[in-house]
Amino acid sequence: MSDSGPTPDQRLTLARLADVLVAEGLGMPAASAVGVADGLLDRCLDAAPALAEPLLALLDEAPADDLDVFVRGLAAGRPDDFAILTTTVVGAYYLSAEVRELIGYPGQQPSPLSAAAEPEYFEMLERVYDRHPGYRECP
Amino acid sequence: MMTQRRQSDAVIVGAGASGAVAAARLAAAGFEVVCLEQGDWTGPADYMSDRPEAELAWVERWSPDPNVRRGPADYPLTGDADVRPVMYNGVGGGLVQWAAMWQPLLASDFRVRTLDGVSDDWPIGWSDLAGPYSRVAREMSVSGLGGDPALPELDPYPNPPIPIGRIGMAAARGMDHLGWHWWPGANAIASRRHRSLQACQRRGTCMLGCPENAKATPSLTHWPAALAAGARLVTGARVAQIPLDERGRARGAVYVDRDGVERLEPAQVVILAANAVGTARLLLLSASPRFPDGLANSSGLVGRRLMQHPYRTVAAVCEDPLDSWQGPWGQSIYSLEFAETHPDRDFVRGAKWMVMPHGGPMFAVAEYQEAHSHEGFEALWGPSFHRAAAEVFGHAFTWGIQAEDLPEDHNRVVLDPAVCDSSGLPAAQIEYTVSDNTRRMLDFNVARAVEAAEAAGAVSTYTRDIWPTGIGHVLGTTRMGDDRQGSVVDRWCRAHDVANLYMIDGGVFVTGGSANPTATIMANARRVVDHMIGARASQEVPS
Repeated sequence: MSDSGPTPDQRLTLARLADVLVAEGLGMPAASAVGVADGLLDRCLDAAPALAEPLLALLDEAPADDLDVFVRGLAAGRPDDFAILTTTVVGAYYLSAEVRELIGYPGQQPSPLSAAAEPEYFEMLERVYDRHPGYRECP
Repeated sequence: MMTQRRQSDAVIVGAGASGAVAAARLAAAGFEVVCLEQGDWTGPADYMSDRPEAELAWVERWSPDPNVRRGPADYPLTGDADVRPVMYNGVGGGLVQWAAMWQPLLASDFRVRTLDGVSDDWPIGWSDLAGPYSRVAREMSVSGLGGDPALPELDPYPNPPIPIGRIGMAAARGMDHLGWHWWPGANAIASRRHRSLQACQRRGTCMLGCPENAKATPSLTHWPAALAAGARLVTGARVAQIPLDERGRARGAVYVDRDGVERLEPAQVVILAANAVGTARLLLLSASPRFPDGLANSSGLVGRRLMQHPYRTVAAVCEDPLDSWQGPWGQSIYSLEFAETHPDRDFVRGAKWMVMPHGGPMFAVAEYQEAHSHEGFEALWGPSFHRAAAEVFGHAFTWGIQAEDLPEDHNRVVLDPAVCDSSGLPAAQIEYTVSDNTRRMLDFNVARAVEAAEAAGAVSTYTRDIWPTGIGHVLGTTRMGDDRQGSVVDRWCRAHDVANLYMIDGGVFVTGGSANPTATIMANARRVVDHMIGARASQEVPS
């Protein structure tokens, strides 16, 4: 990746490719609508810098038209390149606060332990204890 | 010219699970101890686990696979193995990234030859480790519930078990329905403040480093005490060779420092704790005219009998929300229902199961897409992409199934003839094939786990084939035994061939069992070092 990151053209290409992969549907927005090719891309590449070089090479290779065919060609015959593209798009998509709210994902947040929701636990354990033959005795 | 320091009482190679136990114990007993660690310290400042980008950490920086992570301390693992080991090289070793599952071996694991007619018996038995298991469990602030009838009785764990959560309750109901064994998981994760650890906050990023300092790792549990007692830990020190004196005693360890300078750290006793791959590699690197096939290798077994617990998973997707991104990512519950040999099955020995969370949305998408890959592009991408999150995310738990792979000579670590690490030392080449016995064992267990998932209310199940990268369990390459022709170290983990050379990592396992090995690695290290301290007066040392 260059020091300045992806170029505007590369971002535009990624946005179009990303919408082939993650289109609007099931009440969820398309990838480009949440900024997958903008700030979310920068955060994704900052977290996983090794994605940058092969990703930008792919974006430079992508044709101006027929991006759907290009993406399907990657999926069918270039699994490593397809993985670079999909990891970036999916990773960036789920960094979106809007997307997280829609799927009910608060992120890996801290929350204190609580055993309050486990009333049947010991009853079931009693049954384990009752039916188990005991560990295998050894000489 | 090689530089050298004055001789210490003991030099330890590796600052991970077993090395940390040894350093802390020896230093507390008044030994002058030096530990050489090729990696560095890893701490909260390095973690990505409290960032929204945590899931992306797996892609590269926190990948457990050193060939992907390519950290400065990592050495390449080459070879076309069915399962390639994973490891972390740094202070804490594999316990930087472990899931902290704490599982003693079965009593039968020490008598596999006697009971089942395969492999070999260990020269020690369960009772030899009972005391050390309890001592290291306290040092590691383990949270768990005693009384599992599948295991011999142990002292109570120092902390109450971590609540099993919605995923554990769902899975336990399934096991209860089937009448199968399950038990709340023990984990080296503090359920309350204990010693150096804080209480778990359920982030679920245990394997990316715990930002709450609730997961036990030697940089918290052992190294502070070891350093306070006078142990010296040298990071960035890649050990290249164990040199011998004219009588065949180890003189210490030769290492390459960060500047590429070769140094000798002389010691009366050398203790290898570099994991079953690293220790075997170092012994092979230390070949000499006296030991042309590798140091301490008169048996020919150094590097051989590598075991890795081949691993498969069954994801249970349920209708009810399970909040299954929440942690801890240790074991919620486990089962030993199918861990023992059974005469009606077409394999010997068995597998351990454990329930784990299912992760964030990236994991859900990956699991869904792998399971539905046969349905083609349209089913996975475009508007359909969102099905994975809608159906799987937050609604699934995982049964992890780790198989006991029997020790086989052809599964081994050798030196790569061409590829080297950044210090110019040959890489570790892994030769490992999954046996038919293991494949039958995993097929059987996966089928049972699908039944267990369905009994738990799963509306769909996703099974994964054997993971091509391992789960960080590397065992068996320097096995212990009383017979010097059939083992590398004796029952006190001292090399048969070199009187002041010890090995205390998972390499000394005779068989692997199906339990997560860290509890046994640490307990055995404690047992060995306690003996070493007691036998100090009779220890042979280099001239």
